[in-house]
Amino acid sequence: MNGKTLHFYLAGINNQNFLMRDRETGTWWQQITGKAIYGPLRGASLELVLSDELTYGEWKSETTGGLVLAQVPKYVKEYDSNWEPEVAKYPVVISFPGTELKSRDVVVGLESEGSDRAYPWDALVKQSPVLDRVHGTPLLVAVGPDGKSFRVFVSRIGGHDAEFFLKSESKDWILLDTETASEWNFQGCATSGPAQGKCLDRIPALKDYWFDWRNYHPSTTIYKH
Amino acid sequence: MNASSPVPPSAPPLERAYRPQTSRQARRSIWTVFCVCASAAIALFFIPAFVIRPFRYQGPRALWLAMALRQRAPLGTLIAALACLVPAFALWRTVGLWRKGLLVLTLLAVTFSAVMARLNYFEWMFHPVDSPRFDAEAQSKLDPKEMILAVRLGSDARAYPISQMAYHHVLNDVVGGVPVAVTY
Repeated sequence: MNGKTLHFYLAGINNQNFLMRDRETGTWWQQITGKAIYGPLRGASLELVLSDELTYGEWKSETTGGLVLAQVPKYVKEYDSNWEPEVAKYPVVISFPGTELKSRDVVVGLESEGSDRAYPWDALVKQSPVLDRVHGTPLLVAVGPDGKSFRVFVSRIGGHDAEFFLKSESKDWILLDTETASEWNFQGCATSGPAQGKCLDRIPALKDYWFDWRNYHPSTTIYKH
Repeated sequence: MNASSPVPPSAPPLERAYRPQTSRQARRSIWTVFCVCASAAIALFFIPAFVIRPFRYQGPRALWLAMALRQRAPLGTLIAALACLVPAFALWRTVGLWRKGLLVLTLLAVTFSAVMARLNYFEWMFHPVDSPRFDAEAQSKLDPKEMILAVRLGSDARAYPISQMAYHHVLNDVVGGVPVAVTY
């Protein structure tokens, strides 16, 4: 921030989305938005770095020379791989009755040119790859070969809108596009065909509970098929 | 010398006649000062702790107040605690046993608040990773089915297992020369 490196620590909770503060200025930041909500840097925003939620297996298959965060030995007991069903049982403190999703439904949320959209996770898993259009931008929301990893791409090849579908006769997870009939992998890159070597643009997306996504994106729409 | 010259009767000192009255008023003001300082110190810790607690709704104004108080609590509680000591000393010699007890209990609550205002109890529940260590991909024994948060900047790729991030919540790291805060 302004050429100064900030270091963050957990400082509280705001309707089940956590608050962090930085050691350098003591400013309070909201996790989901990266915005400074109180203190000397109030109004500032952290820049969002593109990240992925993948299985470790998927990441390994794509990455060479990467580093994996090691467990802190004294906290190993606290790590819980099965945290999701546990957290799903926790009560919520805000809800949005009248919306078609339940508070703890998992969605993939994204922002495209000022428009927010939520994709119910169950629908994504069933229908992937999902083709959609948000504020004029053609999007491709894909759940990976492991059924757990996901990525969102702009479905445009060389400036032309394209549609993608899973290559059905293949055992491997391969997408075909309708523009060039090239084959594409889960990283969004064409591995063979006329588009070989090209990669689709990525859009950051967040896997979140519906109540939390909706709370910070009041005008969000919900994908329906 | 006239030995029998009458010794002027020792006049009752005026001050003695009035002292109890002044003293009662003075003591009342000292108690007031003590109570104000003590309440300030205790409120500076307890209001934010009460507002920012898990599984409860945080209203926007309550949250703003909580952050405003918590921001000022380290210095504020210290000043209020020191300011409490002066009236406490003044009152100590003049009050009976149960009031002494009240003074001690209040001072304990004040001290507790001043200490807690300096401690981050959220990090007692979810300990931070002070200096993250990493395994090379080849050495890591992580199950391929485990979910991770992945970041790639330049030629640096990182995998943060979600089972760990869901506990620590925040991690400070540098990836490809860029300082990042990883959150879950």
